[in-house]
Amino acid sequence: VRWSVRGRLVRLTARAFYDDISIKGDTQAKTSRGDNRGMAVVVLDGLTRRQWVREEDLAKSLKLHSKQLRRVLRFFEEEKLVTRDHRKESAKGAKIYSAAAAAAGDGQPTKEGEEKVKLHTHSYCCLDYAQICDVVRYRIHRMKKTLKDELDSRNTVQHYICPNCKKRYSAFDALQLISYTDEYFHCENCNGELLAESDKLSSEEMGDGDDNARKRRREKLNDMQQRIDEQLKPLQAQLKRVKDLPAPEFGSLQSWERLNLGAFAHGDSAAAEAARNAQGQYNGTPMPYLGDTKVDVELAGSGVKAEGDESGRDGSALKVLPPWMVREGMNLTKEQRGESSNTSKGDEKSEVKDEKKQDSKEDEKSLQDEYLKAYYEALKKRQEEEDAKRMQQEGQAFSSEIHSERQVGMKAKREDENGEDEGVEWEEEQPAGNTSEEPYKFVDLNAEAPESGDDEEDEIDWEEG
Amino acid sequence: MFFHIVLERNMQLHPRHFGPHLRDKLVAKLMKDVEGTCSGRHGFVVAITGVEDIGKGLIREGTGFVTFPVKYQCVVFRPFKGEILEAVVTMVNKMGFFAEAGPVQIFVSNHLIPDDMEFQSGDVPNYTTSDGSVKIQKESEVRLKIIGTRVDATEIFCIGTIKDDFLGVISDPGGAL
Repeated sequence: VRWSVRGRLVRLTARAFYDDISIKGDTQAKTSRGDNRGMAVVVLDGLTRRQWVREEDLAKSLKLHSKQLRRVLRFFEEEKLVTRDHRKESAKGAKIYSAAAAAAGDGQPTKEGEEKVKLHTHSYCCLDYAQICDVVRYRIHRMKKTLKDELDSRNTVQHYICPNCKKRYSAFDALQLISYTDEYFHCENCNGELLAESDKLSSEEMGDGDDNARKRRREKLNDMQQRIDEQLKPLQAQLKRVKDLPAPEFGSLQSWERLNLGAFAHGDSAAAEAARNAQGQYNGTPMPYLGDTKVDVELAGSGVKAEGDESGRDGSALKVLPPWMVREGMNLTKEQRGESSNTSKGDEKSEVKDEKKQDSKEDEKSLQDEYLKAYYEALKKRQEEEDAKRMQQEGQAFSSEIHSERQVGMKAKREDENGEDEGVEWEEEQPAGNTSEEPYKFVDLNAEAPESGDDEEDEIDWEEG
Repeated sequence: MFFHIVLERNMQLHPRHFGPHLRDKLVAKLMKDVEGTCSGRHGFVVAITGVEDIGKGLIREGTGFVTFPVKYQCVVFRPFKGEILEAVVTMVNKMGFFAEAGPVQIFVSNHLIPDDMEFQSGDVPNYTTSDGSVKIQKESEVRLKIIGTRVDATEIFCIGTIKDDFLGVISDPGGAL
């Protein structure tokens, strides 16, 4: 359920553009046996849950043949969605990767005993999130532009017609048609003034079958344009959301390993944990939402869900949250924190849900997602509080519970108002200094406003002068 | 687009050039004959960069002329559909404007000029935006995209557009910019 914003972008992209692409090898081209459409989507989905990953491991966990996987990855490398790295390494090198992967929280099972001291070429791959945004945006731009150009008949050659003798010319004849006495083209036969064919006369007189075909084509193009707008709407929305976020930088394979190993080398797992968090959420720079937002509330069901996704059933990110999911989350809290304020919470939740159902379907989906995200954030926070509380004292439990209750409510409200939760969540994820963050933001806003005002004034000045 | 290619041509040389400088005479004549010509297949020959091989001459009966097969390297220029070129405007009229990119003539019809540019007749006919900030007239330099070529045996004529991103005037005739 913890789809990162960027992960979601990749998923949407995969389904929008790579759903029906079958990647064929040279040998398979003839046979129809390997219908591997949809595999591209599976691979991309798999990659959204990982950072740098060894291709063999990925193949194993996706239950694909490594050759198939490599073909898909090569395709995506050409599409600029994936960066790959190949290197010769001994078992030791592989171990470095494994350690880094473990530190990064990928949790890939490693089998250290099996590997021999032989040099193998290992390939690694990783999604290039920064580039993906650009690639997708460019792709959409090109699609729209091509259609628009067609509609505007931008690249068509102008035709001219002589009103007297009905002789037709194209712009290619322009050199022969120029007259040096006036500004018009003149007919070679009768020296009459030529008219551009799009003018009224020609469309009336030449309105034959050719014109009909053109009209039909126009309609088709219009229709296609509308469908593009419609179908890419979720993707566009996601792009807009991602646009302002800093791109998560995994760097090259080496630097990524170093980063993750650096945390690991400090010894205790707490340090690694901290580094992971720092990389993931608190630091801000590397990746606000990437994969590693491993909330402790991981439900029993989520594992199943992830597996289902692995096998290629699409749309799980988009689907409305099934009720059993919610139920389970509530159970968990019940167990952990006793019965006290459980019922009121449930009410609140259903209220919010009802509100959402009134919205249009698309909105509902995204809102659901956001709501879920917020919900888990709140849950996590509450759990942390809970733990702390339990450790300190049990006597004051009541008051602090009220406090936390209010927080959940506030948060949900904020989501609804803002529509985008990134900024808000990011702020709240700050472990400390939450209060110091907000005044800074206000100052920032103030600083921006007068600046833009100046700009406008400048412009006016410039135009006058 | 420019290409560096090897072409072959049969050169006829007058007997008066026979002598120690035969080869030089041949190359000079080749340059005079070939440079600046246009073939539909290869485009405009811009310059000869070298002579690869001069074959055995064959004496023509009756005239005394000698025919040499000559292989030479040259730079050719051939415009392609979709190519972006920079060109100088040579003539502006109501139907559009003509421009030249080196030897190539390009016609941009008025429906391929941005809609906000209007034709202004007068002493210096031109296309101008409503705020007057951009003006296309004779001698203006424009960047345009070729949307069609008509290739004859000895002539190439192009149709261009400036109705697209980053196309249009790149410098005024006065060179003020």
